[in-house]
Amino acid sequence: MAEVQVLNVAVLDNPSPFGNPFQFEVTFECMEDLPEDLEWKIIYVGSAESEEYDQTLDSVLVGPIPAGRHMFVFQADAPNTGLIPESDAVGVTVVLITCTYRGQEFIRIGYYVNNEYTDTELRENPPLKPDYGQLQRNILASNPRVTRFHINWEGCAEKMEDSENVDPAPNAMLSPSCTPGKAPPLGLVPDNSMNCL
Amino acid sequence: MKLLKPSWVNHNGKPIFSVDIHPDGTKFATGGQGEDSGKVVIWNMAPVLREEDERNENIPKLLCQMDNHLACVNCVRWSNNGLYLASGGDDKLVMVWKRAAFIGPSTVFGSSSKLANVEQWRCVMILRNHTGDVMDVAWSPHDVWLASCSVDNTIVIWNARKFPEIVMTLKGHTGLVKGLTWDPVGKYIASQADDRSLKVWRTMDWQLETNITKPFSECGGTTHVLRLSWSPDGQYLVSAHAMNNSGPTAQIIERDGWKTNMDFVGHRKAVTVVKFNPKIFKKKQKNGSTPKPSCPYCCCAVGSKDRSLSVWLTSLKRPLVVIHDLFDKSIMDITWTLNGLGLLVCSMDGTVAFLDFSQDELGDPLNEEEKNAIHQNIYGKSLAITMESQLSSTIIENPEMLKYQQERQGNQNPNEAQGIGPENQTPKLTNVLNGESLEDIRKNLLKKQVETRTADGRRRITPLCIAQLDTADFLPALFNSVPILPGSSASTQLTPQISSDSSTANSLGLRPSHDPTTTSPNKTSHFPSLSTNTFSFSGLSCSGTIEPMKALDSRFTERSKAMPGVTSVPLTIVVLWFCLRVKDSSSVKEPKGKDETSSDSEDKIMVKSIAKRKGEMEGAEVVEKRKKGRPRKDAKTMPFPQVTFLLSKDAWISKSTDGAFSEGGFTVSTDGVTYLEVENEVSVVSGSRLSQLKWSREGREWDVLLPSRIIIAAGSSNVVAVACEDRTLSVFTACGRRLIPSIILPVPMSALHCSGHFVMALTASAMLSVWDVQKQTALVKNESLNPILSGTDATVSQSFLTQQGVAVVSLSNGKTYCFNSSLETWNLIADKQDSLVQCTDFRNCVSAQDALGSMGPLALTQGRNLSAGRLASRLSSTPHHLQQGMTLAFLEKQLSSALILLSASEYRHWLLIYARFLVNEGEAVREGQCHCSQG
Repeated sequence: MAEVQVLNVAVLDNPSPFGNPFQFEVTFECMEDLPEDLEWKIIYVGSAESEEYDQTLDSVLVGPIPAGRHMFVFQADAPNTGLIPESDAVGVTVVLITCTYRGQEFIRIGYYVNNEYTDTELRENPPLKPDYGQLQRNILASNPRVTRFHINWEGCAEKMEDSENVDPAPNAMLSPSCTPGKAPPLGLVPDNSMNCL
Repeated sequence: MKLLKPSWVNHNGKPIFSVDIHPDGTKFATGGQGEDSGKVVIWNMAPVLREEDERNENIPKLLCQMDNHLACVNCVRWSNNGLYLASGGDDKLVMVWKRAAFIGPSTVFGSSSKLANVEQWRCVMILRNHTGDVMDVAWSPHDVWLASCSVDNTIVIWNARKFPEIVMTLKGHTGLVKGLTWDPVGKYIASQADDRSLKVWRTMDWQLETNITKPFSECGGTTHVLRLSWSPDGQYLVSAHAMNNSGPTAQIIERDGWKTNMDFVGHRKAVTVVKFNPKIFKKKQKNGSTPKPSCPYCCCAVGSKDRSLSVWLTSLKRPLVVIHDLFDKSIMDITWTLNGLGLLVCSMDGTVAFLDFSQDELGDPLNEEEKNAIHQNIYGKSLAITMESQLSSTIIENPEMLKYQQERQGNQNPNEAQGIGPENQTPKLTNVLNGESLEDIRKNLLKKQVETRTADGRRRITPLCIAQLDTADFLPALFNSVPILPGSSASTQLTPQISSDSSTANSLGLRPSHDPTTTSPNKTSHFPSLSTNTFSFSGLSCSGTIEPMKALDSRFTERSKAMPGVTSVPLTIVVLWFCLRVKDSSSVKEPKGKDETSSDSEDKIMVKSIAKRKGEMEGAEVVEKRKKGRPRKDAKTMPFPQVTFLLSKDAWISKSTDGAFSEGGFTVSTDGVTYLEVENEVSVVSGSRLSQLKWSREGREWDVLLPSRIIIAAGSSNVVAVACEDRTLSVFTACGRRLIPSIILPVPMSALHCSGHFVMALTASAMLSVWDVQKQTALVKNESLNPILSGTDATVSQSFLTQQGVAVVSLSNGKTYCFNSSLETWNLIADKQDSLVQCTDFRNCVSAQDALGSMGPLALTQGRNLSAGRLASRLSSTPHHLQQGMTLAFLEKQLSSALILLSASEYRHWLLIYARFLVNEGEAVREGQCHCSQG
């Protein structure tokens, strides 16, 4: 049994110029010594339209991890502007931090990122070709979207049938009630007592 | 009756499936649906109970919320001792939670709620085995087992002392199992399922006792849960949804013959939950009327899909109260407060209701003594009865024990209601970091953190450890209620069972019997003295040589400080002996075997001695009452499956001796229990006082009289040794024959151990002797502890004798020595501060199976979980070959230590690791060795 719980992710150097590296300070807690490293990735979503523009900015191994609370700063270079569709450079996009253990992703943290020109002139009349030097990246640090996945911590990623979130709302109990109406109301039936001790 | 719906108890409108009040009554847990996961929330009880607390913004309402369950939580249940919370959910998991004291308030990362958690509850165990949603969980009496049932049609019995071990999977239901309840006597567990049956299983062999189907034949599988309940007297089991004449009922099943003649009728829809009040009541005596002896009765709450709640007294033919339209949807769970007067109900509609009864309405709750008397009448003098009385004390005492522990740990705000400010706790984190504040660290983290490249060129960051978890928390074997008291001689190996025992035993010993006048504030005030006020070892004639003795145990110093000028204060000594049963004679699987050092059938048992100074008058009264009022056989209360033994309490005027140290030993063989019992001053014959030593095992027993007060007794399966105040040591065979005439010791005895045919004696002048009484030779002759004690102010914290007759002495500075009789030297076998230990990194070479093979005297001295590698991660900056060297040196040390202790299994264990390490680190090591040979 082992489990890693992400306690906090602080976004450092934010807002910052577009070309600055991303810096996330991750605090996590591990319940048992982990025999293998965790793999962390930062993925920059180049375009909301297609995953094809997703860039993995970097991936690092983190270890060794004895039981306890740990922190580290994950720094990764800014996205390769050449891979971002020009129409999507300015505006809102997403950066994802994922963590996998033994090849299984168990947490995905998403942040909205707003890229905009600081210069009012540019903001009003954005150039056709984005001027990345003038862009400011603002990560919406206060509102992370966290998705946790159920993984097999002991073994490898052989078969985890439910690696996606389990459907919440169990509606099984909303079935029709049983034989209503026939029983007399409470308190009107005389012989229903338990003998005393 | 007062009714309250605290609107602040909610899961943001999502259904609440389960509710349970903590045994100490200060908080309660709810379980249900969270935003996109299951949710467990712990709430403060005070704002529910008192309006002013509800309005007071300084009193937190929500204490902690946990989103770890991946899907809806169907059941939350506190352990009887209040230390753990178990939750089961649709994610097929059972999680066990424990409060983490060291972590400050925090929010759940990523959750929309910005409320900080006031208490930190951490999942310490995830139990995976079910292949379907877990519907109900239940702790057995004494928290020996945890049962969980699931839609996979099975019930799993987990060993709660050794999670995640499975004791048994109960198969037999052919439908979704939706409710569980333990017999309060501990003999049965009952389950109810959608297969229209209620099954009662024996805990003795986990076989089916009875299968009840008739009342359920008309039932459809329409309820989410079927939470059944057993009455506190054990006589009745009440089912959830049953049918009688096509009307929904709660079926009453009598323990006697499992008869099903009665039921609770009246709900319009299926009964989802039944919950008995933990108290047994008797009629409230009215003023003036002659007290008529009335039958005691039970009280039961029934919740239904018809959204109404009914509360029944078994003495009335009609319900005491029925509340309709309390909720918008089906009732899902009910929980009573421990005093039996409060009731929390939760519903699918996501709300919770609190009912507050008065004693006029329910009656006078019986106190524990009366309850025990009832049990005694019903169950006779069987094991069940002793368990039962134990059970009651467990319920009453353990929350207090828990509180006491928390106070002792000193990081606990005694009043939960006042909450714990963030400021109070955050400094603790910084302590871990050598005085550097967390802020400082964060500023420089990026620069400071160690980043390396792996062989394939990938970045690898070594995270900064900002707080180490107490690994003891994670040892499933330590899953029990009481911290290991220091100085527990030679018993680390058995600590799991013993320390859990000590809670019951402590409560037994210090509990002012069942005297109503001594109420809980009194009791709790005694607990602190329990651990701090132990034995002084001063006095006697040889004050010159006594100095090293003071060093023998730091605990001993405590009393001498407290004693100046009060030598005439009478002392009361309460000696608690405990013994544990390895196996319940028939078939209870006690998970012991793996822990044993080797194949030997013999174990050492810790014995605790507790002295209480008659400081305050109340305390004195309490103990004296016990002395007089409690017949001896009552003292032999047996919890289940262990056995607690209480004996030999006596008071005497302390003149020359300020205290006495009594110790005893028990041997336990796999098929029986051996008791060793000491009674000082059993009779006075012509001015001389006689002491008695009793030995019993499986009905065979012998006793022997000794002319002097017995200070220490110890035994093994072969011999029994007794040290007396007149500085004699007597050795008997296990059959009671005196082996050798009394050995005269130069000074009084401090510690005595037996193992096989070996007897080890540690005297007050810090001299060690070990004899082989079979061969009648001395292995160690009056060897002084000075070599290991000189130059330090350390004291002896533990001593024991291995199976092979090697004497081991641990000091309070973390060092452990053994005496090698052939070399006639003291050898350092373990050092907790050893930097080598902390810097080694051989985790890659340890496989899961190895952990089992590592048990033995060496592991005992080094602690069950070796702190090896603790600092390894932080030292990654040290050159690899250095760490390698340290690891190698450490492993070699372990090897030689195991060898000198003659511990075969440990030698093998470390040899394997050593070999693996050499193979893993192959080249570099070989190079290193080449260098060595060249040099």
